[in-house]
Amino acid sequence: MMSSTIFLHPASYFILGALLLPIFARFKMQKVILLAVPLLAFWQIHALPESFGVCHFMGFELVFGKVDKLTYVFLHVFTLMALIGAIYCLHVKETGHHIAAFLYVAGSLGTTLAGDYLTIFIFWELMAFASTFLIWYRKRKRSIEAGYRYLLVHTAGGLILLAGIFLRYQNCHDLSFTQIAVDGATTADYLIMIGFMLNAAVPPIHAWLPDAYPEATVTGAVFMCAFTTKTAVYVLARAFPGFEMLAIMGAIMTLYGVGYAVIENDARRILAYHIVSQVGYMVCGIGIGTAMAVNGACAHAYAHILYKALLFMGVGAVLEMTGKSKLNELGGLYKRMPWAMIFTVIGGVAISGFPLTSGFISKSMIIAAAGENHRLILMIMLSLAAVGTFLSVGIKLPYFVWFGKDSGVEAREAPWNMNAAMVIAAFMCIFLGVYPEYLYRMLPFPVHYHPYTLYHLSETLQILGFTGLGFYLMVNYLHPEPKCNLDVDWFYRKGALVFMWVASKPISIANDWIGEVYRTVGLRFTKAVARALSWFDWEGIDWAVDGSARGVVKGGDKMRTLQTGKIQHYVGGAVAALMIVLLLVVFL
Amino acid sequence: MAQILSYLQAHAKVLKWVFFAYLLGTLLFDFLVERHHPHFWGDSVIGFWAIFSIFGCLGMIVFCKGLSHVWLAQREDFYDSEDSDNDE
Repeated sequence: MMSSTIFLHPASYFILGALLLPIFARFKMQKVILLAVPLLAFWQIHALPESFGVCHFMGFELVFGKVDKLTYVFLHVFTLMALIGAIYCLHVKETGHHIAAFLYVAGSLGTTLAGDYLTIFIFWELMAFASTFLIWYRKRKRSIEAGYRYLLVHTAGGLILLAGIFLRYQNCHDLSFTQIAVDGATTADYLIMIGFMLNAAVPPIHAWLPDAYPEATVTGAVFMCAFTTKTAVYVLARAFPGFEMLAIMGAIMTLYGVGYAVIENDARRILAYHIVSQVGYMVCGIGIGTAMAVNGACAHAYAHILYKALLFMGVGAVLEMTGKSKLNELGGLYKRMPWAMIFTVIGGVAISGFPLTSGFISKSMIIAAAGENHRLILMIMLSLAAVGTFLSVGIKLPYFVWFGKDSGVEAREAPWNMNAAMVIAAFMCIFLGVYPEYLYRMLPFPVHYHPYTLYHLSETLQILGFTGLGFYLMVNYLHPEPKCNLDVDWFYRKGALVFMWVASKPISIANDWIGEVYRTVGLRFTKAVARALSWFDWEGIDWAVDGSARGVVKGGDKMRTLQTGKIQHYVGGAVAALMIVLLLVVFL
Repeated sequence: MAQILSYLQAHAKVLKWVFFAYLLGTLLFDFLVERHHPHFWGDSVIGFWAIFSIFGCLGMIVFCKGLSHVWLAQREDFYDSEDSDNDE
């Protein structure tokens, strides 16, 4: 790539910023980079040409930059969110945390701009790898474990994606990233789709999300809730609009996520499950595939990033100041953290789709698209999820954190930079609701949808009011309980234990036994062989067998120590294998 | 801000009646609204979304909480305790 085009690419600002951060941190100027880079990128995306950064590499055409309206709307919200996130984590001292966040954003921007599958894959893996550190930086035992699970699941998803890319290359020798026709889809395309769906957290491959996000750092979760799933929504919208499977899975997702949000206790886990629900709307819109539905998916992604980040920032501020995020330990905080309360309530109101907020003008677009296509069941499912959204995130979460019974938890207002980031996000939530044209103009297709009709208003007011009545009637039954709810991660969390048990008990016993047999029988045997060989050597037949006996002994010892039983070694091995495969692909 | 909310909390009864009046208001409002493009039969029934959301909400609470109590809810250290066994 020519050096002039490198600086067209917004991801290169973030990568460069990540490299410069340690130097600036030494001079205590970290904050300059943290603010300058996202600002530059936010400004830069307006100046992107339609295509740039095309380079030929070992017979492949890598396209680092391909821009159209669909790309633009995602770039716009990603860079805006990077700015908000950077402001929110200004007070964090650890340079490594900022580097991880910047590389994560770079991965997301790189994926969004990529024009071929190889480029996508590279940035895709960068995203998974960098975001893992946002979990590990919490430095608790639970977070370390959750980070490993997160990395393993994403490595598996990346391998499925890579398998799809290989197959696709074998089938048609074309790796350009374009829309895939519904009739012409092959196994390769479905493998790619599964790889994308894992990052979009489509059940049953969603459990990494509510497992990992609540264990991430306060600031890391704000970044994570915005980028991974919405990048997946972008690639699905680019490649797979109109796939019926996505419409159905998306509608199931909306209810699945919201169902868990109703019963969960940890505030950040409620929000994490609720991401599954909200991304379900987008996936469903992409599956319906009409211009209005895809528009709705993009609009909802834009609005969702802002209000979900706002909610994560609000409960993150509570976690930062009190050390608590479980609803049963919180309550009555409105007196001590009124600003954070106002912002969180704005986020909750926006996500529930109150009139004059961003949820009202984006979510309804997808529901209306389902209605206009006479997809009655989808429409009812999405509407029911909207009821659950208001119930779980709109009322339950604020009620048990800010109001309800006063828990007496000590708290102060959050640092100014956290509040500043929340102000920007809260402003955007209301601005988009009052002035939807700002968002509608950015959407990939011309918009013929008017959210502010009397009927839509009446429908929304009824849904909100009577869901509120439901909460009022059942508030005692809804009381949060300190419990852990099972989900499909049970299979690999308990499955891994079975695997570890098998590895540590029977295999290790067998291993020891074989080692013992080897020591008593094999060693004597090799020694005997060695004696025989040395005798052979001694006798003057000068072959190259000299030293082979020692080699056998050493080799046997090496084999015994190869199985360390430490999971980080296995993970490291898997990542190394992945990199080798990648290098082979690129260089052969 | 906090004072206003404390004041409102002290007058929860009034708030309750305001809320009920609002609910009644949404139903009355639905009588007046014209329906240009009903997507399905429910769109032409007055108060359909009110009934939908109250039953949807109650149904969801009962179903999810019930499922949680019967099956999904475990001790908070459900995964941890097995881990520590394994560490030994």
